[in-house]
Amino acid sequence: MLDSCKHIIKFFFLYFILMLPLTSYAQDNFPINGVRSTNQITYAFINADIYIDYNKIISNATLLIKNDRILKVGSNIKIPNDAKIIDLNGYKICPSFIDIYTDYGQKTNFSDIELSSWNSALNTEFNAINNFEIDLNKAESFIKNGFGIVNSLNKDGIIRGSSTLVSLSYDKPHSSVIIDQSALCLSFNKGASKTKYPSSLMGSIALIRQAYYDADWYDGQKHIYNNSLRAFNIKRDLPKIFEVSNYQSIFRANKIANEFKEKYIIKTNGDEYKRVEELKNLDIPLIVPINFDKLKINTDPYENLNISLASLKHAETAPYNFSILVNHGIDVALTLDGLDSFSDFYKNLKTIISTGVNKNEILKSLTYNPANFLNVYNQTGSLEKGKKANFLIFSGDLFSNNFLIYENWINGKKFVVNNKNIQKLIGKYNFFIDGNKGNEISFFVKNNKICAQADTSKKESIDNIKLFNKQISFIKNGIFFNGTFSDSLIYGELYDSLGHWNTWQLVKFSTDNKLSPSNPDSISTHSKILYPNMAYGLQSNPIQQSILFINATVWTNEEAGIVENCDVAIQDGKILAVGEKINLNIFKSPSNVVLIDASNKHITSGIIDEHSHIAISRGVNEGTQAVTSEVRIGDVINSDDINIYRQLAGGVTIAQLLHGSANPIGGQSAIIKLRWGQSAENLKYHLAKPFIKFALGENVKQSNWGSQYRTRFPQTRMGVEQIIYDAFVRAKEYKENNQAYRKNKKLQKPRKNLELDALVEIMDGKRLVTCHSYVQSEILMLMDIANQFNFKINTFTHILEGYKVAGQLKLHGANASTFSDWWAYKYEVNDAIPYNAALLIDAGVNTAINSDDAEMGRRLNQEAAKIVKYGHVSYEEAWKSVTLNPAKMLQIDQYVGSLKENKDADIVIWSSNPLSMYSKVEKTFIDGRCYYSIEQDLEHREIIKTEKSRLLNKMIKNQK
Amino acid sequence: MKYNFILFLLFTQLLIGQNTVTNILLGGVAHIGNGEVIQNSTIIIEEGKIIQIGHSDTINLNISDAKILNVKGKHIYPSLILPNTTLGLAEIDAVRASRDEKEVGLFNSNVRSQIAYNTESTVVSTVRTNGILLAQVTPRGGVIGGTSSVMKLHGNNWQDATYLQDDGLHIYWPEEFHRGHWTHSHDFTAKDKEDDKEDHKKKKRKKTIIELHEFFESAQQYNLLANKEIDLRLEAMQSVFLGDKKLYLHANTVNGIKDAVLFATSYGIRNIVIVGGSESWRITDFILKHNIPIILGRIHSLPNHQDEDIDQPFKTPKILADAGIVFCLDYHGDMERMGSRNLPFLAGTTVNYGFSKEEALKLITLNPALILGIEERTGTLEQGKDANLFVSSGDILDVVSNNVEHLFLLGRQVPLENHQTKLYNKYLDK
Repeated sequence: MLDSCKHIIKFFFLYFILMLPLTSYAQDNFPINGVRSTNQITYAFINADIYIDYNKIISNATLLIKNDRILKVGSNIKIPNDAKIIDLNGYKICPSFIDIYTDYGQKTNFSDIELSSWNSALNTEFNAINNFEIDLNKAESFIKNGFGIVNSLNKDGIIRGSSTLVSLSYDKPHSSVIIDQSALCLSFNKGASKTKYPSSLMGSIALIRQAYYDADWYDGQKHIYNNSLRAFNIKRDLPKIFEVSNYQSIFRANKIANEFKEKYIIKTNGDEYKRVEELKNLDIPLIVPINFDKLKINTDPYENLNISLASLKHAETAPYNFSILVNHGIDVALTLDGLDSFSDFYKNLKTIISTGVNKNEILKSLTYNPANFLNVYNQTGSLEKGKKANFLIFSGDLFSNNFLIYENWINGKKFVVNNKNIQKLIGKYNFFIDGNKGNEISFFVKNNKICAQADTSKKESIDNIKLFNKQISFIKNGIFFNGTFSDSLIYGELYDSLGHWNTWQLVKFSTDNKLSPSNPDSISTHSKILYPNMAYGLQSNPIQQSILFINATVWTNEEAGIVENCDVAIQDGKILAVGEKINLNIFKSPSNVVLIDASNKHITSGIIDEHSHIAISRGVNEGTQAVTSEVRIGDVINSDDINIYRQLAGGVTIAQLLHGSANPIGGQSAIIKLRWGQSAENLKYHLAKPFIKFALGENVKQSNWGSQYRTRFPQTRMGVEQIIYDAFVRAKEYKENNQAYRKNKKLQKPRKNLELDALVEIMDGKRLVTCHSYVQSEILMLMDIANQFNFKINTFTHILEGYKVAGQLKLHGANASTFSDWWAYKYEVNDAIPYNAALLIDAGVNTAINSDDAEMGRRLNQEAAKIVKYGHVSYEEAWKSVTLNPAKMLQIDQYVGSLKENKDADIVIWSSNPLSMYSKVEKTFIDGRCYYSIEQDLEHREIIKTEKSRLLNKMIKNQK
Repeated sequence: MKYNFILFLLFTQLLIGQNTVTNILLGGVAHIGNGEVIQNSTIIIEEGKIIQIGHSDTINLNISDAKILNVKGKHIYPSLILPNTTLGLAEIDAVRASRDEKEVGLFNSNVRSQIAYNTESTVVSTVRTNGILLAQVTPRGGVIGGTSSVMKLHGNNWQDATYLQDDGLHIYWPEEFHRGHWTHSHDFTAKDKEDDKEDHKKKKRKKTIIELHEFFESAQQYNLLANKEIDLRLEAMQSVFLGDKKLYLHANTVNGIKDAVLFATSYGIRNIVIVGGSESWRITDFILKHNIPIILGRIHSLPNHQDEDIDQPFKTPKILADAGIVFCLDYHGDMERMGSRNLPFLAGTTVNYGFSKEEALKLITLNPALILGIEERTGTLEQGKDANLFVSSGDILDVVSNNVEHLFLLGRQVPLENHQTKLYNKYLDK
């Protein structure tokens, strides 16, 4: 929960520096057209049940208001003699609602600001207030739904400038504004920005981080003017609203918040329930939508194959999102954002309520929380003395079926939502036309509206009910009705489809106002949330077992080589022992050891894919610039990628997720363990060193991108060399400037540059380079540059002409990670040969076989076997090319890569020789946890089958 | 014109194929290709044909002037046959000038792959050396891609490399298909736009199918015209209606396959093959009912859907075989030309999913021969068939033992060198 005290202080601080009007009612300097009109009346609402706030209700209480403020509220209140008394016996009062994520009143076309940032996705200067105009139609819709205040923001771009908090009551923009700059808004989506950078999610993240650093740096500058950074710094003290498009991005945004000691209010997409356990510890206020994706279920079962279990499960669970969050103690504000139509608001609220959520929690999420998030709880969000006179007069129980708002008072001004006479209307009637008795008709309340229904066999609904005072008109069966109503009778004239006029009347026989229960959407429960919440998801993290595998053929990757009739013991996620006839007594608790007879099986360490692009969200490349060392794959790991599971089934336990090869200096890599079901952060293998991707040749010179890509430098290998060389020249200078500044603080402080920071790390040996490369010339070139700047190229990946320069690679100390037999897809791989790995191994270069492909990634054992076929490498060496050798080049071989005491228990059980086409993975363990086994896989399949048919059935019923 | 051409072919065949030397392969394990194995076999090759094959004990070796190859303990296989490939039509994916597999236009019934086939392709040389000596070279592009021919993977020009000219016409059925596509991912917000796009694509598909109908109707009507102006596209369709040319329908989804088959049968076309067919396992009854063979798309693929069994592509062959459907394996898709040398390993995968090795071998020998209509000339090691065969020191279906040592195409020994072995040897000696 926000520390409200602190924020109130902060608010007053803001008030003084930004000169905000605390009350926007008085517009004293406006000339009057005509004579003065005043508002001096005190209103006394008496005999109402009043929700003072979301939690506290006083029955039979009084509310006194004057002008736009609340004078008093409570029971036993003395009513001034001159007050206008409004008796609300039978009615209730609660605070009006607040939506802090809207684009209410934002003009769609605003011109770009000159003097702006280099990147048009960074609109720090933008102030929603300057783009605000009153939209009466939209205001009316909000008001009718019970809203009094909305926060208006521009939903476009990465840094979106400030939002403005406005009242919905006024017809002049000036008088609407409560806070001119209420929050600074951000997102990861560049929106309509014309600047090419960033094209990827990781680029957006890097851009935001750099913007923060730039702003910090600018703060100390005296001689430079930068409008964008200036504006950013001014707005740094505002609350911040960060919009994300899925639950994983909440954690991404939170990481940025931690880095810059920020606190974001995060606008979510409604799927936060998927990781609520981790979310609840972060104490992040959330703005949550109440739109639920409608899944279109097809008639053709084959078309439904395209509907994933993930989307079905989401459709079922999304209504529970709110209740799950609230039950985990997360502060939530609701928003209408994303609703197709305002009329869905109460319908969806009802759906949320049917999930068993406390109605007070909903009121909280519409009043207290949004007010508190934006630090205006001292002004609104509850009904207390001195606060804004923003409240609803309603009947029925809060948010229940018969909940009906009559009036929405905003800033002491009354807006009629529903005719109070509706109460008289509710009930059941007998219908007479021209004296003849027809069907029964009932009037009732539903979704904050008066509805009617003829009690025929089809329960035919009656449309377009219009009320004015005690007059009513509606359409039924193509017949137009007009009438007058009193407590028990409605009568009038009708105009039928043949053009006849006639008389009609409805005679009330029951005042029953309960809607006959017409099978509300039967959401009684949702299926268990899986990790990830999709096909093959797990119910929980597999337990770390103590296991003794007996009598296997063990590929140790150690001196012992391939050992038959050998045992492997694992405990606490580590390998305890490898050898013949291991005694149970070496385990901590021998009685708890699981014995697995592995006769005829082969056991190996897990496969390590040195070159993978699985499990990456929204863009593998930030290819918009030639040097993008600031972007990090680690920021955008997608823990929900099914390929993680598929590759586990191929025996892969570790993968290096690389940036693509669109530019000479790409982004920073992430090394993950394929711990299926764990969050993105938990997938990371934290013992691995930082890596970065470089690339050379045709991809980076855009040779095969099409004719419109002929202008970005570089277009030749000559240019590629210069780009890289120049980057390191700049990085070296940057490093020197930083060193000088550290010695002498009087010097100008160098701007922190994330791009160059990564390059400095490379030169300092703290970050290792994996370089996409093909032909010998470019391989030699890069080693040459590295030598000049005194670092080593750790890995050449692809390196299909590596065999031509094997000696030089060996000399430089580079590793090689290559394809087994790919070639001829580009001109530069014309001399690629499947003997490459064999020749490199022969020359003493540490060589790995990688996938670079989600499909091949699950058959890397077969790819390793190809170097037996092409080049006659021994079984043992071939196997190392997908296990120990990649571990060495990732510099994690002290922990993984072989079966050795104390190494991680990342092991795979194979049905036979793992290099053979006829071998299958039977079990894959990571850290001693079994993440894949044939048996578990069959269970998953059964669950997928039954769950999918159950959900399709449920959804098609709801669709009707 | 066509007859002259065939005569010409026969003539060149005689010239090149003239092979007076008798080759004898002695003592090898002969994998016949029809499921049978002869452990200690003798194979006698003369004038390009297998004139005798049997257990060594049963064969009389009274032939003078024979070249005897002792292959004791080694494995002999009929040539592998690669269907549905662009091998020889294109060389390097990224070099536009080297690509001849895709003509512009929607209905190119008249274009023929045979004449663009490059016998000197370095890619072909690396595929050949893995035992693939015959391939159905297939044009891509548009809806009607053109006419394929079965080509030899060794020759001097497209004429002498032709094995079966113009075997069939290829229709790429317009269908909704995303292999390995991430459906309904919540990672992307522009969902509505996506839906619009899908809608647009659906409309476009429907329109294309209507145009295809119009094209087929015109082609049938064309035949009835009294005085016709020559229309090459419609002309090329006539052999399909007559059944001289097969009709290869490339379709993967259930609805695509059904649509395509019902379309073709509605024009009275009988000689139909499904190509792709990744979802064919779901409708084996339908396929059996129409008695249609399948060239099954590359089984080393990701499942079509996130929810599908993770090994679905691997186990599809067993489902088809159990249903009694005749099918073979292809390598169509990304990097299909350079990757097609892995064809034996696709068959090897089926061994892991329910096939015996000999049954698996059929999927890349006899079955493709049957489906392409060359089973009387090749596809098995049987007396009277062309001597298209090769020797490996071990089981070719498994990567670790696959090691080709001799290649014979029409009885003539084919060199094992290729672009890559030359580079290997150069740098091995370095």
